[in-house]
Amino acid sequence: MRLVRLLALLAAFQLGAAAARAQDSIKIGADLPMSGPNAEYGELFGAAANLAVEHANADKMLSKKLSIQFEDSQATPQQGVVAMNKLVNVEKVPFVLSAFTGVSKAIAPVGDRAKVVSVNGGGIGPDLAELGEYFWNVIPLVNLEIRVMAPYLVQERGFKKIALVYVDDPAGEAIQKELKDNVPKAGGQMVAELQVPRNAQQFTSIAAKVREAGPDLVFIASFGAQQAQIVKQLRDNGVSQQLASYSAFSSPTVTQLPEAKGALFPTQSVDWAAPGMSARVAKDWKAKTGKEPNAYVANYYNAVMVFVHLAQALEKKGQPITGENLLQQRKANGSFELVGGKMDFLPNGSVSMPIQINEIDGGAGKLVKGGTLAK
Amino acid sequence: MLLLQLLINGLQLGAIYALTAVGFSLIFGATKIFHVAHGAAFTIAAYLFWWTTAVKGWPWPLAAGLAVLAAVVFGLAMERFIYRPIQRHEGAFFTVFIAAFGVQIIVQNLIGTVFGRGFVSVTTPLSRSVEVLPGLFVAPVAALAIVLAVVGFTGLTIYLARTHWGMAMRALSENPDLIRVFGLDPGRVAQYAFAIGSAIVVPGAIFTAMTAGLNPAVGAHVMLISLAATIVGGIGSLRGAAYGGLLLGLAENLALWRLDPQWSEAVTFVVLFLFIIFRPAGFFGRPHAAK
Repeated sequence: MRLVRLLALLAAFQLGAAAARAQDSIKIGADLPMSGPNAEYGELFGAAANLAVEHANADKMLSKKLSIQFEDSQATPQQGVVAMNKLVNVEKVPFVLSAFTGVSKAIAPVGDRAKVVSVNGGGIGPDLAELGEYFWNVIPLVNLEIRVMAPYLVQERGFKKIALVYVDDPAGEAIQKELKDNVPKAGGQMVAELQVPRNAQQFTSIAAKVREAGPDLVFIASFGAQQAQIVKQLRDNGVSQQLASYSAFSSPTVTQLPEAKGALFPTQSVDWAAPGMSARVAKDWKAKTGKEPNAYVANYYNAVMVFVHLAQALEKKGQPITGENLLQQRKANGSFELVGGKMDFLPNGSVSMPIQINEIDGGAGKLVKGGTLAK
Repeated sequence: MLLLQLLINGLQLGAIYALTAVGFSLIFGATKIFHVAHGAAFTIAAYLFWWTTAVKGWPWPLAAGLAVLAAVVFGLAMERFIYRPIQRHEGAFFTVFIAAFGVQIIVQNLIGTVFGRGFVSVTTPLSRSVEVLPGLFVAPVAALAIVLAVVGFTGLTIYLARTHWGMAMRALSENPDLIRVFGLDPGRVAQYAFAIGSAIVVPGAIFTAMTAGLNPAVGAHVMLISLAATIVGGIGSLRGAAYGGLLLGLAENLALWRLDPQWSEAVTFVVLFLFIIFRPAGFFGRPHAAK
């Protein structure tokens, strides 16, 4: 009997402590890959989001401490939905950070049903702009990247014949479609389109197929460890042509790969030296990681800051911080001063930003063409 | 020329698969333990080789020696501290499988925590292909992998056929009680199988670090291929595992001659299914009549 009483007391204490913790802080969720071959992205995105939380708490931007509940999506749609269900139904968060096209498309209906906002800062599939009003993007989607990249490669750099190696995934297929539309428009030609399975690790024979096609440039549309494997194995196996990709090449794994040196890739324009928020983030990021920040750092920092600004406005009005209210507030005022300058949300919840083109130089990337807005 | 190129690529990959599969097959054949954590031994060896050569700048023979030592210690520790206690208490096949699978996940996460979760590789001139004929590129590592696979497999076959401990390992798979009759300790013989099986994974791990590169999840893929090669070759047959690995490597690459690249890995499993359906005992396995 005494044991039962003790257990009941402990349970009550635990419940009380949990409730107190919940009241002491404002919690948002993050559905990011923390394990598996794409875990390095989760680590990078999570660190950038945590830096934003640190800044928001240090500046006392909200009435309570902000925290992030991380769940592991493993970058797969199935695990992403499991994690999203936990964040929505158990943790009851109003706002979730998302990444990867496949995961984002899978979790969007869950968020939509529960009226929880999901914000993507890493996935690039163009259809991410059409996932309902509770799904937002703080990253320019790949259709915008390719509309800037294709004319640059074909017309300004003279790479007329392009071979594409792309992953069997919604992101890879989206890039293939955009290149097929935009390369001929710019006066170029797709000479090979080689789709590789998502788990493939051997690309020596893909290199043979690329050599056989005789391109001027090889465009790689994959992500995570696989894109680095493709670069290394193409270079090791006689492919000496120019390499190019989309914003996923800003991952440190690729930018520091010796074989990737000289590769071209687009990102949204970010002037890290601009005074204010950009310079502060750049300085603190370097202090924490010893590395230069990249576009993903800006995206996930900005995603958290969008929440902070919206929640701040709701607190001022005395309204609860719910997904529904966050959406209404964004619709009322969808313009934010963030890292990289002013960010305006389009009515579909995505953003349009100037795109710059970078070249891998062993560091964070060398700017080769300044910000251009996609036509 | 494309076909010849794919054939050479297939031989190189097949040699790496064979080296990995033979170790798994040796352990499974001798002890009947489904050592799923074999992929973890591969990952540990590969990462240690990368860390000591690419990060610390050690000479590669020393780095390779450390990788062998680490793989052997890991294999022995698995036998001594995971499999033996489980078998002592109940010995259920499924329990052993889950324990090994759990260790594989733990190792994957530890490697990610210690060495980072990104892609790493060993940059070496050995993996750089040279054009030996117009349009035909071959890397020195291809020849090394094939030679080492042949030497390793031949050496292992002679060891198992001619030496006292080799014969004991073969006997262990047939009848552990008979081993005792001859005054040998089955536990010790099993440890030999784990040590040799784990050591033989190291060349494949080193070649993978040089050619394809590594990430902490690389062991899962290795294990899948080892398992497929063991089934195709015939469970318990070393020769079968070697041929199975070679066949899968060749099939994965030659598929590109006529099929789109996204089919290359599927071809591996088509080969596996064909064997399961039409020749369930594999190349060299012994068929068992249903009881």
